Amino acid sequence: MKAWVDEHVPEFFRRKWVLIVGLLIAWFVLGRIFRGVHTLDLPNAEDTPTTAFLGDMAANIRAARAENPVFVYVFNPFRQGIESFIEVIRLTISEPASGAVIPLIGWFGVLALIGFIVFATSNWRTSLLSMVLILGCGILGMWTYSMDTLALTLGAVILSLAIALPIGIWAGLNDKVMTAVRPILDLAQITPTLVYLAPLALVFLIGVAAATIATMIYSIPIGIRITAHAIRSLHNGPIEAAESMGSTRWQKLTKVQLPMAKRTIILGVNQTTLAALSFVVIAALIGAPGLGEPIVRALSIRSIGDGVTAGLAVVLLAIMLDRATTAAVVKSNQIPLTGQPLLRRRIGLIVAGIATIVAILLSRQQLWAAVFPDALNFNEAIGGGADSFTEWFTSTFYFFTTTFNETFTVYILNPIEYLLADSPWYLTVIMISVIAAIIGGRGVALLSAVLLLLIVWIGLWNDTMITLTQVLMATVIVMVIGVALGVAAGRSEKVERVLKPFLDAGQTLPAFVYLVPVLALFGPTRFAAIVCGVFYAAPVVVRIVADGVRGVPKEMVEAAIASGSSTTQVVTKVQLPASKKSLLLGANQGLIFVLAVVIIGALVGAGGLGYLVLQGASKPELQGKGLAAGLAIVLLGIVMDRIAHSSAKRS
Amino acid sequence: MTTTTENASTDSGAGGKEPAISVRNLWKIFGPTPNAIVGTPFADLSRPELLKETGCVAAVRDISFDVADGEVFVVMGLSGSGKSTLVRCLTRLIEPTTGQVLIEGEDILGASASRLRQLRRTKFSMVFQHFGLLPHRSIIDNIAYSLEVNGVKKDKRHARANEVIELVGLTGYANHYPEQLSGGMQQRVGLARALAVNPEVMFLDEPFSALDPLIRRDMQNEIVRLHHDLNTTMVFITHDLAEAMRIGDRIAIMRDGAMVQIGTPTELVLNPADDYVADFTNDIPKSHVLCVQDIARPLGDRSVSTTQAIESDVIVRSVMHRIMSDPDPINVVKNGQVIGVVGREELTTVFAEDINKELTA
Repeated sequence: MKAWVDEHVPEFFRRKWVLIVGLLIAWFVLGRIFRGVHTLDLPNAEDTPTTAFLGDMAANIRAARAENPVFVYVFNPFRQGIESFIEVIRLTISEPASGAVIPLIGWFGVLALIGFIVFATSNWRTSLLSMVLILGCGILGMWTYSMDTLALTLGAVILSLAIALPIGIWAGLNDKVMTAVRPILDLAQITPTLVYLAPLALVFLIGVAAATIATMIYSIPIGIRITAHAIRSLHNGPIEAAESMGSTRWQKLTKVQLPMAKRTIILGVNQTTLAALSFVVIAALIGAPGLGEPIVRALSIRSIGDGVTAGLAVVLLAIMLDRATTAAVVKSNQIPLTGQPLLRRRIGLIVAGIATIVAILLSRQQLWAAVFPDALNFNEAIGGGADSFTEWFTSTFYFFTTTFNETFTVYILNPIEYLLADSPWYLTVIMISVIAAIIGGRGVALLSAVLLLLIVWIGLWNDTMITLTQVLMATVIVMVIGVALGVAAGRSEKVERVLKPFLDAGQTLPAFVYLVPVLALFGPTRFAAIVCGVFYAAPVVVRIVADGVRGVPKEMVEAAIASGSSTTQVVTKVQLPASKKSLLLGANQGLIFVLAVVIIGALVGAGGLGYLVLQGASKPELQGKGLAAGLAIVLLGIVMDRIAHSSAKRS
Repeated sequence: MTTTTENASTDSGAGGKEPAISVRNLWKIFGPTPNAIVGTPFADLSRPELLKETGCVAAVRDISFDVADGEVFVVMGLSGSGKSTLVRCLTRLIEPTTGQVLIEGEDILGASASRLRQLRRTKFSMVFQHFGLLPHRSIIDNIAYSLEVNGVKKDKRHARANEVIELVGLTGYANHYPEQLSGGMQQRVGLARALAVNPEVMFLDEPFSALDPLIRRDMQNEIVRLHHDLNTTMVFITHDLAEAMRIGDRIAIMRDGAMVQIGTPTELVLNPADDYVADFTNDIPKSHVLCVQDIARPLGDRSVSTTQAIESDVIVRSVMHRIMSDPDPINVVKNGQVIGVVGREELTTVFAEDINKELTA
């Protein structure tokens, strides 16, 4: 067959992109002819056998909670254990015990305590910054919400690290353990956050426990991955030397490997913390207290002002946690102090410690130090300002917010959605599988076909295609932006310096906070969800592409310039082809990040699978469909990840 | 370091005493079936053939040698020749496939894990190409590491560490950290760390390859000096023949995992076992390694004509001025006996060869 093709088909028609374009044209023509036939569109109230089955299962689980031994002896005690652990932290900083007016420590004491902890783990400058940022949460009128979020985040981080660090170290030392956990880590990475929520709420009830467990499921894999990497990427030299000097395995681990890996492990703590924060906010959907509450409320009633103040408080918390943990990384990398500077630091710590104790005592006795004072609360001014700014912006930039949005929807988004969702389902399955075969080979094509058929069997085909349309659109836009900015940043240090703070911010902020301003600007539309996805995924892609371009050997670029290439030629003929691997990795990561946010985009009108998941979480009679939608999201994620992955592997 | 032709036998170290290290038929095979090679016809295959047939690589291939007490034994070869694997097999940082290694008469391959640890903590030590210092520990704590893992109390181990710090010329740097030191100084720390336990045998794996040439020369002199003072047995790995000649009492040349030749520097230059060794030693000017006795004209039936005399084991280069400035041949004396004469004629022959080599190189 292959020999025949090689002989008779002109070279031009054997190129991959020509084949794919040809297929798309064929698909488009066939899709037009058979438009609306066998689209498997499922009305909102209707169930398929699979969703009905899942709905029954959910009902059974709900019924079994009270008496089934698995619940009585395993799940319920587990839930209560986690609940009371989190409650201890909340009673300390956010929630008054019954009968009391304030928690154990009032706002002033908490402020001082945070300042002291950051000072002890890094330096006074970061400590000061952290206190200012926390104060900012109060000024936004979000003190109690912020403390709830902080309490939940800290609790989840402590529990996550208690699990992630030992497993990560073990996986770092032992190849077999790594092989065993890797598929779990991979799956966790491509599963959008929203998918965990419903099943966990089903087992652990809506509330703090389910939210914490969901957060842990999200952040533990990140902690494991970085810790294992920290151990694995150590230089072998010192380890071999330690071995040659007669260390036991335990001595080697505690005296050499862990101290050397400390820096990267603390980086893992940083990533785990930020992941936990972003998830704790989203977990408001299953009853987590904190800043997510006002955001969800604001999204559902489109009250921009409230959403903005809460969103800003999330941003401040994120910056605070990021700066504090990053400063700890830097400090762990420094040579220990000796002599005079050490003495000065010890005195500083003692003074700060005494001041903190005084502040805590004050906050338990003086009203001004106990409850965040109204005089400092600018919630209404800021919220009102945001509202009127939104109004002014949307009316002034009508073209951008409405015309652009509608044009994009009519001329780009809708045609693609017709292609994927309004063609007969078997046409779409065949086309996607064939394209997968061209890009990634036979194995991936087969896997894609099987998983897509599973989605058909589940019965949520049409919704899946609506979601896929948005994911693909957002990914294309992310790649265009990512390649443009990534190449610019990779080629010029100046551009890189300008972009860096934005990229840092983009990677630090929880996806949830983008929803508010995007909703304000574009209203509840599919376009809004795509914009969110782009904002969330672009920083990662820019970074990966920039790293790839920077990694192209200098001699290669110099040789191209020396043989008379223009700048465009250097980019298109040398730098981009040479960093192809990074581009494909960027596309892969872009897809996964976009998928995660487009699903959440259901909160701002994106429809598709995300909408079903949200509905399932709030209405018991739709729970079966919600769970099925979660399953479909996972399957879709695997299909996209594998196709992108295999193309990267092939190159 | 003396250069004699006395111990010409390739397999045993100097003198009749028990050797410090004795290696017999040592093999290290990497690959899927390491235990199904030695003792089968596969063992006779060349490297590429073995890889093709079995998927295995023989990194160390049937190696035997002895190192005498207090000797500096240099193993040299190109990268990939197996020399680094060999030195790691001697202390079981890499587990050999088969063979025997005796250090001070003790069977190393048969030692239990805890005995091996004890040996590493007290009897032998190693210096690494990329230093292998612990970045999170100060210099003194790096040097005291072996003592620390052996349970020596802090003040005692620090006292010992301070002694070796002085010995290698790092006084004043005890509380610095590795990253604050230059490459040459870091390797002095590496040396000090290896010396801290007062080892009976030191293994040095290309210790100076990562240093720049001037520093390398300094460190080579340092090794010569330390060896002169402490007389520790050393196994020294290098890919630099000049370094090998400068430091080694005897040199072993490895190729594709096997030992090609073992001998004193002079032997390697004068009688290379094959073209491979000859290729290596070609660049060495003969006047740098030959002794007067190697070029002396036998006395024959002539009688002693002058009263001038040179000891027989002096390197030619170091006395060339004296020979050239004397119109008559000079007597070569060994143990008080005149064994021959050497004059301008012999010297010119050697130089002519050296210059010729230089020109064709």
